Amino acid sequence: GTVTESATGLPIPGVNVIVKGTSNGASTDFDGNYTLENVTNGDILVFSFLGFKTEEIPYQGQSTLDVTLDENQATLDEVVLIGYGSTSEQNATGAVEKISPEQFNQGAVVSPQELIAGKSAGVQITPPGGAPGEGGTIRIRGGASLSGSNDPLIVVDGVPLDQRGVSGSRNALNAINPNEIEDFVILKDAAATSIYGSRASNGVILITTKSGKKDSPFQFTYDVKASVGNITDKVNVLSADEFRNIIESTPGTNPDLLGDTSTDWQDQIYQTSVGAIHNFTATQGIGNFYYRANFNHTQQTGVLKGDYYQRDAINLSLNQDLFDNQLKLSLTSKNSLDQNHFADRGAIGSAVAFDPTQPIYDPESPFGGYFEFTRQTNGGITQQNLATRNPVALLNQYTDVNQVRRSITNLNAELKMPFLPELKAVVNGGFDYAEAHGHTFRPLASAANTSNINQFSNYVNYNRNLLLDTYLNYNSEIAAINTEIDATAGHSYQEFFRFSDSYGTEQDQEVDFPVSIDRNALESYFGRVSLDINDKYLISGSIRADGSSRVAPQNRWGYFPAASVGWKLQNEDFLKDVSWLSQLKLRGGYGETGNYEIGANYGYLGIYTPSVGGASYQFGDQFVPTLRPEEYDENLKWESLRNYNAGIDFGFFDNRLSGSVDAYYRETKDLISVVPVPAGANLSDQLLTNVGTAVSRGIEVALSGDIARSEDFNWSLNYNITFQDKEITKLSLGDNPNFFIPQGGISGGVGNTIQLWKKGYDPYTFFVFRQVYDQNGKPIEGAYVDVNGDNQITEADRQPYKKATPDYFMGLTNTLNYKNFNLNFTFRGSFGNYIYNNTESANGFVEAGTNTPSDYYSNLNSNVLDTGFQNSQFFSDYYIRGADFVKLDNVSLGYTVPGEKVDFKISLTASNVLTITDYEGLDPEVFGGIDNNFYPRSRRFVLGLNFTF
Amino acid sequence: CQKDLELQPEDNRQTAESAFQDPQAYRQFLAKLYAGFAVSGQDGPAGNPDLTGLDEGFSQYMRLYWMMEELPTEEAVIGWNDGTIKDLHNQNWTSGNEFIRTMYSRIMYQIAQANEFLRQTSPDKLDSRGVDSSLQAEIKTYRAEARFLRALSYWHALDLFGNPPFVTEEDAPGAYLPEQISSAELFDYIESELLAIEGDLKDPMANEYGRADKGAAWMLLANLYLNSEKYNGTDHYADVITYTTKVIDAGYSLVDDYQKLFLADNNTNGAQKEIIFPITYDGINTQSYGGMTFIIHAAVGGEMDPDNFGINGGWAGLRTTSALVNKFLDDNDNSIEEVDDERAMFFTEGQTKEINDISNFNDGYAVTKYKNVDSMGNAGSDPTGDFPDTDFPMFRLGDTYLMYAEAILRTNGDKTKAVTYINKLRERAYGDDSANITASDLTLDFILAERARELYWEAHRRTDLIRFDQFSNHGVWPWKGGVPQGSTTEAFRDLMPIPASDLGVNTNLEQNPGY
Repeated sequence: GTVTESATGLPIPGVNVIVKGTSNGASTDFDGNYTLENVTNGDILVFSFLGFKTEEIPYQGQSTLDVTLDENQATLDEVVLIGYGSTSEQNATGAVEKISPEQFNQGAVVSPQELIAGKSAGVQITPPGGAPGEGGTIRIRGGASLSGSNDPLIVVDGVPLDQRGVSGSRNALNAINPNEIEDFVILKDAAATSIYGSRASNGVILITTKSGKKDSPFQFTYDVKASVGNITDKVNVLSADEFRNIIESTPGTNPDLLGDTSTDWQDQIYQTSVGAIHNFTATQGIGNFYYRANFNHTQQTGVLKGDYYQRDAINLSLNQDLFDNQLKLSLTSKNSLDQNHFADRGAIGSAVAFDPTQPIYDPESPFGGYFEFTRQTNGGITQQNLATRNPVALLNQYTDVNQVRRSITNLNAELKMPFLPELKAVVNGGFDYAEAHGHTFRPLASAANTSNINQFSNYVNYNRNLLLDTYLNYNSEIAAINTEIDATAGHSYQEFFRFSDSYGTEQDQEVDFPVSIDRNALESYFGRVSLDINDKYLISGSIRADGSSRVAPQNRWGYFPAASVGWKLQNEDFLKDVSWLSQLKLRGGYGETGNYEIGANYGYLGIYTPSVGGASYQFGDQFVPTLRPEEYDENLKWESLRNYNAGIDFGFFDNRLSGSVDAYYRETKDLISVVPVPAGANLSDQLLTNVGTAVSRGIEVALSGDIARSEDFNWSLNYNITFQDKEITKLSLGDNPNFFIPQGGISGGVGNTIQLWKKGYDPYTFFVFRQVYDQNGKPIEGAYVDVNGDNQITEADRQPYKKATPDYFMGLTNTLNYKNFNLNFTFRGSFGNYIYNNTESANGFVEAGTNTPSDYYSNLNSNVLDTGFQNSQFFSDYYIRGADFVKLDNVSLGYTVPGEKVDFKISLTASNVLTITDYEGLDPEVFGGIDNNFYPRSRRFVLGLNFTF
Repeated sequence: CQKDLELQPEDNRQTAESAFQDPQAYRQFLAKLYAGFAVSGQDGPAGNPDLTGLDEGFSQYMRLYWMMEELPTEEAVIGWNDGTIKDLHNQNWTSGNEFIRTMYSRIMYQIAQANEFLRQTSPDKLDSRGVDSSLQAEIKTYRAEARFLRALSYWHALDLFGNPPFVTEEDAPGAYLPEQISSAELFDYIESELLAIEGDLKDPMANEYGRADKGAAWMLLANLYLNSEKYNGTDHYADVITYTTKVIDAGYSLVDDYQKLFLADNNTNGAQKEIIFPITYDGINTQSYGGMTFIIHAAVGGEMDPDNFGINGGWAGLRTTSALVNKFLDDNDNSIEEVDDERAMFFTEGQTKEINDISNFNDGYAVTKYKNVDSMGNAGSDPTGDFPDTDFPMFRLGDTYLMYAEAILRTNGDKTKAVTYINKLRERAYGDDSANITASDLTLDFILAERARELYWEAHRRTDLIRFDQFSNHGVWPWKGGVPQGSTTEAFRDLMPIPASDLGVNTNLEQNPGY
C-alpha cells in the first residue's frame, strides 16, 4: 500500500507500519510505499510517523491498503527539552531553539559542534584550526564572563558534562558521535537556563542522542564518509632569493651563514589529509523493549604531518517500558576510545621562520641527519640553543600519543504514580568517566632536546563526574479554569573528580611529578511551574538553589529564580480567523543565573603549596624545599547574571514563512576575574575575585522560508542574524577610569600583549599605537600619533582601538530536494570584527631575521617588503586588520536510490569551500582575534555512502 | 549531602593547619621567603609562578631589581623587544611600564609573604599547635630573619618608589586597600625593625650559608643611613660609619681574586668570606629564568663562546655603554685591552665601543663579569648549561669599604683607614700597589667612579647616581634620554612611578610627583 498526507496527497516516506503487538513491521520507502507480509485477518495495523496522528486500521484481507495520515497539530508542535522536563515549541516562553538533523551541516563531521555552526541566532561557533578531531568554540550570546569559563553547559541525555573538558582529549564532546545525535536544544536566555542555576550563565545546550523506536522492525544501516583535504593558503614569507637579498643588503650581517639551497618549509610540513568515518547502526523494537546500537570508527590525519585522530565508539540506547507504560526505563551509554597522535605544532612557527636557503637534510648533522644551526664547543658540535629548529625534524623527531577511554552512561527511570497518573517520578543516575594515558618522547638526537638524555613523559589522567537527579513532575488540566499546569520539583547531586599523575624528565633528571587531585561537588534543589491558561496565556516560573564546595560556607548557597510569560495571539478570537497567520506569540522573561566555573576549587581557602623541581633554597649544605601560602579570597563566590529577554515567534501561510526575533539585555555582576589585587593586600599580585560588571545586549533574528513544497520539489532557506554588543562596565575595586588589564599575549618579545580589558570597552578590544603613514600610504617606522601631546611616544599613547568580536554575524542554510536529489549548503558571515596579524608583526621587520642571539638568520614575513620596517612595531595599529568574512562552509549534493531490500544514498560534500574576505592572512576567523601560527583549516571533499537494510 | 560540600585539598596542597603539623614546615616557609629573591615560583625553573601579571622568568625579583638598578644607568643597555624594556635605559618610562609594575608587585609580594610567616609563627599560634620549646627558640631566629627580609624589600620599595603601600602582619590577606606610607615614616619603620631584630639574629658568619645574620642587618642599616637624605632629608653618615665599622670588624675578608666573587663556586672559593649576604643559586636545586640565569645568559652573544661562561648559549641582550668603559681608561689609554685593572671585564671582539643601535648586540662592549664556571674553569653543576650555580653578592665587604670611605668624606672624618680600605680593593684589582691612591685622591667624584669600577653590574648604580645627584637632571651617558649622545632628564625620575595598575585599584595611593 501507499501512505499519503491527507492535506496534500504527498507520499510520506519513513512511516512505521507494524502489526500491533508484534515485531512484524515495515516502513514506507521514498514514494510512501510499503510491503508487509504474514498478516492475518483481524490484525491491527498501526501507521505512525512523527508529526502525524497515528492510525490503527484492522486488516481484513486487503492486498493493498492505502492510508492517509492527518497532520497532528499537537505533535507537529514539537516537543522541546528544557531541562528536567519538556515543553512544546508552542508553549516555550524562553529563548529556546531546537536544531534537528535535517538542518545539520553535512560532510565528514567529527565533532558535534560542527553540526550546528551557523544554524542558530545568538550562537557563535568558531570552528577549530585544522587539527583532526578538535572542537570549535561555542559562545551563546557572547558568554557572560571574563576570566571564568565562557563555555555553555552541555547536558547529554540528562548528564551535565564537566565544563572544564576532559584532560588529554582534543575535544570533550568527541565522546558523542555526531551520527547519533537526535537533536540539539539551545537554551539562550535565563528564563530557559536558570533551572541549571550556577552553571547556566553562558547558556545551556541539551544534546539528545538517538534511540530505538517501539515496535519497529530490525533495521541495519551502514554509513561511510571518506574525505581528503588540503590547506588553502600559506603564510607569505620571503623566498630564498628574496631572503638572501635582504641579508646581503643589511649592514653588519654575515652572508656566509646562509645556505645555498631553496626550501619552502611550509610545503615540507603540510600534507593532504585523509579521513574515513564508518557507522554501523542497528535498531529494533521488540514489543516494549527497543534498542539502538551503533559502532563508529573514525580516523583522520591532519594537514600537519604526523597529526592523527582515531575514534572507536559504541553507543547503546536500551529502552524498556513496563507495567503498561507506567514505568519507563532507559539506559544510554556512549563509550569511546580515542587515539591521538599530536604533531609538534612548533613546526608551524618554525616553518614560517626557518632560513629558506638551508636544506632539510645535512649528512654531517649529528641531529639525525637534519640540518640544524650548530656551534662548535669544547665537547664537539652542539645546537645553537635559541635558534629556530628545523620544522621537518620537529615533526619527525617527536612522539606525542595518547589514548582516551570514556564512558558517558546513565539510567533513567520514569514512574507514573498508579494512584495519580498525572504525577510521575523521575530518577536519573549517571556518570561520565574518562581515562587518558599518554606518552611523549623527544630523543637526544633531536636538536630541540637541549638536555643530555632522551626527554619523555608518561602521564595518566582520570576524570569522573557522578550524577544523581530525582524529581517529580505533575502535569494536568484543570478544567474548571481551563488551565494546564506542569510542575516539577527535584534534587540533584553531582560530584566532579579529577586526578592526574605524570613521570618524566626535567633537564637531565627523571622526575616523579606530584599527583594532582581536584574534587568538587554541587548540590541543588530546583522547581518549576508552568501554566497554560486557556491556550492563550503562558506563565512559567522556576527557581534553583545551588550549593557548591567551591564557595565558602557563608556564601555557599546561591538562588537563581526566573519568571517568564507568553501570549499565544493566534488563539485570540480577533486573530483566529486570519487564515494566513499560523502562529504569533509574544514572550518575555527575566532570570538570574550563575557561573560556577570560577577557576579554582579551593579559592576561598588559604592553601599551602610545596615546591617541586629546582625551587629549593640553600641553607648551609642543605637545599630546603619551600612552602608557599597561596593568595585567596574567602568571600569568593560565583558570578551572577541578570538576564532580560523579549521575543516574538511568528508563522505565516501555513508556516511557510516563520521565524522569531529576540532581544536581550544581560548584566553580569560579581564578575569573576583574575585582577591585580592592591599590592600588599594579598599573597600574590593578581587574585581571582569577584570584581566588576559587564553588560551585553543583542538582537537575534531567525527566519525560515519554504520556497517550494510539492511532491517532487521542496526547497527551504533558513537565515539567522545576530547583533550583539558586550561591554565591561566595572573592572576594579577602585574607580579609576584609566585602569585597564592587559590581555591577549602575542608572539614577538616576551610578555607582550595587544588587547585590554577596560571599563567601557569590549573584552576583546585591541590596544595599540596609532600609526602615522606617509603620503603614499606607507607606514612610517616608529612614527605614531602623540595622543597625549607630551612630545614623546610612550605607552601612555597606546589607545583602545577596534575589537575582535563581530558587531553582527549570520548564517544561511539551504535545503533543497528534487525527486531523489538533495542539495544543501551553509553560508556563514561575520562583520565588524578585526584581527591582529601577528604573523606579520612578529616576523615582518628586518631585525627579526638579522638580529638573532647567535649565528643564524630567520626568515621574514613578506610584509617586510611593503613596510621596510627595520625594528619591531608590535603595537602599531597597522597590524589591526578588518576581518569581515563570508564563508561557504559546506555544499552537499546527495542522491537516494530506493531499493527493494536496500536503500542506497550517495553524497558528495565540500567543506570550507570558499572564504570571501579582505583579510590577507591565512584565515580571518581566529578565536580571540590574534592571528599567530594558526593551524590552517583544510578544504575537504567528502564522499558519503549510506546503505539501509 | 551537605557535608559533601566541605571539601579539602587531597593532593600536595594543604591548609595552614595541616601544613604546620609538620615541624619542618616552618623552615620550609622561611626558605620560601629567601627563595622569593632567587626563583620565580614553586616549580623550578618555571611552572607554578608566584606572580601572574608578567612572564614568570621576567617577574623574578633579582632579575627585576638588577634591571631597575642597572638599565637606567650608564652601566647597562638591553637589546630586546619586550614591551617597554628599552624605556628603562631611555629614562622615559611611564606608570604603565610593566617591569616597574612587576618589581613593585614582587617587592610587595615578598612583604606579604613575610607578614604571613609572622602571623603563622606568632607565639600564640605556636603554643596552640603545641610546638616544643627548642623549635620555638629556633623559630624566634626565623622570625628575626623574616623581618630582616621584609626590611630589605621595604628598603627596595623606599629607594625605588619612595611612598609605597604599607602592610604588616597585622593586616590579614584580603582585597582591602592598604594605606600609603611616606618615605620618612618608612625610613623610621625599617630602621626600627632592623634595630629591634639585631639581638635575635645570629652573629656575623655564625648562621648557615645563605641565611641572614647580624652582618646583613648592619649592611642594610648602613645602606639606609647612607641614602637617608633622599628618604627623609636628614643625614646619618655617622651611623654609616658606625655600622660599616661593625661589619669591617666582624671578620669578613676580601677574596684574593676579584673574578672569584662572580663564579660558580663563589660560595666556597673564598668569596664567601667577602660576601656578607648572597642570593644563592644552584644549577640543580635553585633554578629560575631570572636572577643569575638572566644576568649570565643575557650578557652573552656575538662572538662570545658560551662555553667560557659555563652555559649552553647566550641570549644576546645586555651590554654596557662607553661611559662605563671610559671609567677604566685614563687619558693616555686608547684601548680597554691595555688596562691593567682586573675589574675591567669586557668583551670587545666584534663589538663596537659606541652604540649605534641598542637592539644590535654588537653595539657596545659586552661584560664578562659573571660566569657559571668555577675557579678552575669547570662549568657549573647543571649538565644542560641552563642554570648557573653562581650566587649573587647582594652585600659584600668591598662595598662596605667604599661606603665607609664615602661616609668619612661626607663627614670630613679621618681618611687614613678609608684610604687603606680603598687601596686593598685597588691592589686586588691591579695585582700590586701601582694604582694605589693617596688621601688627596680620595674625593666624592673618585668614590662615584670607583664604585662603578668595583661594583658595576651588582645592582647598586641607580641608587649611587641618585645619591650623587647624577641620575636624572645631571649626568649624561650614551642613550640616556633616548638619544645616542645622551641627555639629561627631569629630576622626578629619581623616583619610579607608582604603577598605574595599583593606582587603579588602590584609591589610597597618590602618584609620585611628575608622573
